[in-house]
Amino acid sequence: FRNAGARGAYAKFAGAPLIVNTINNSWSSPKADVPVLISEDIVISQPAKILNFLRKQRYNADYELSAKQGADTLAYIALLEEKLLPALLHTFWVEAENYCSVTKPWFASRIPFPLSLYLPGKMSREALNRILLTRGGPPLYSLTEVEAQIYRDAKECLNLLSKRLGTSQFFFGNTPTTLDAFVFGFLAPVYKVCFPRVQLQEHLKELTNLCRFCDDILTCYFKLTVTGKFYFSSTFSHV
Amino acid sequence: MLELSSSPASSLLFSLLSAKKAHGSSTFAALRCPNGSVFSITFSQARDRGRTSLPTIREAFLQMCNLPVRVVCRANAEYMSPSGKVPFIHVGNQVVSELGPIVQFVKAKGHSLSDGLDEVQKAEMKAYMELVNNMLLTAELYLQWCDDVTVEEITHPRYGSPYPWPLNRILSYQKQWEIRRKMKAIGWAGKSLEQVLEDVDQCCQALSQRLGTQPYFFNKQPTELDALVFGHLFTILTTQLITDELSEKVKNYGNLTAFCRRIEQQYFEGHDKDSSATASARCAKRDQCCQLNWKMELNSCSLLSDLGFTMELN
Repeated sequence: FRNAGARGAYAKFAGAPLIVNTINNSWSSPKADVPVLISEDIVISQPAKILNFLRKQRYNADYELSAKQGADTLAYIALLEEKLLPALLHTFWVEAENYCSVTKPWFASRIPFPLSLYLPGKMSREALNRILLTRGGPPLYSLTEVEAQIYRDAKECLNLLSKRLGTSQFFFGNTPTTLDAFVFGFLAPVYKVCFPRVQLQEHLKELTNLCRFCDDILTCYFKLTVTGKFYFSSTFSHV
Repeated sequence: MLELSSSPASSLLFSLLSAKKAHGSSTFAALRCPNGSVFSITFSQARDRGRTSLPTIREAFLQMCNLPVRVVCRANAEYMSPSGKVPFIHVGNQVVSELGPIVQFVKAKGHSLSDGLDEVQKAEMKAYMELVNNMLLTAELYLQWCDDVTVEEITHPRYGSPYPWPLNRILSYQKQWEIRRKMKAIGWAGKSLEQVLEDVDQCCQALSQRLGTQPYFFNKQPTELDALVFGHLFTILTTQLITDELSEKVKNYGNLTAFCRRIEQQYFEGHDKDSSATASARCAKRDQCCQLNWKMELNSCSLLSDLGFTMELN
């Protein structure tokens, strides 16, 4: 789940002059893996590497973090990937109603013709595959049991994030950091996209501090776009 | 079998086991409840190929809770486990596998290591446990099953050792295929060994920074996170592979190696004793046990703790 929303947010936080091009041709990226950061002649396509690259160019949002806070960042990112990501993948790509009415039409409209017939289906299959392989072993034998488990885990993860955020504006004080970017990248799509099946969104809306967190970042850092559509585009362009 | 399987603790055996265990024999670890039912941890059985055996994450956790444990090795352990993962614990007529459910189970019995933590600390602890699972566990699996040299020379012989030919080759190829499929799904299949080692380094750096100069990760008492980290780091430090690169990455961080050493001394070596204890002495000690009265037995070697558990290897 190479979350472009996280990358966009990070770049904004660090003040890097970033032009986000809505990806309209997945062929151009080396392994249909978007987003891709192109700086001069260097092409980088993985989230951690993109963040490292931005840091080396001295656009660093984590400058003022202590060593322990840096370690906490890694730990929470791992938590997001393990607990929240399967449920997100499921909501966007596997849940039949959501996929057919929202994800697929939107995604297909953004990519050129021959690819639009094939790529959404492929991404859906890969998402399901990933969920089943990482979470689907015994004692969970049916897809419904796996789904129930991953949504339970996602809700627990959201609760943990809410507890960690508490009443502060960002996760580490008053300035946003990498962790804020990642959390935003994961939460914003759930928060803003209107799906027919929305159990995760309902749970998120009960955690008012997380909603406030997303709204703050949207209004402060993404003034150019006022609807969730921007995040729609940047977040969907992932493998 | 002494394998770093999908549950890393399955590869860790108690240090005494390797010294005492004969090839192909089964060793038992059991917790005996007051009503006499036995609580046993089961590992897969494999011939020891000169590898050092290592304490388990589960054993570390159970030891930290002062719960005696009896370790059992079985060739079909993966099939006995409810989730297909080893090790698992067997208490009375209940079987529980994997660290998360075991922690919940033990908590339901009234033992918990993380009661003293507040909500934010509990969230942090869970986050770090996911980090360890995400990075260290996956790196261990990668090294065992996706690195061709290690697979040929170490993993296949070890995994297949309890079975006759051709079953040993078939099962180990099947396991390899399963693990590689999973690696591909999460995006690790394309990584090179250097990238994996770099990830391990990053994870160890995070753990080292979090630990700092404290004795344990949270306060002065060990928690589930300490047991988990100890299990993984101890495996990495003491497992002999083709090269030492993985253990070198961990050794770069002095506080982590000191942490492992400290836990090993406190919870494992400190309970070492000679094997001459008689049955009556064991009974006497049993009476002195803590109210839960659980025993740990290892092959002809009795370990008596201050809190009253014994270890013998059958």
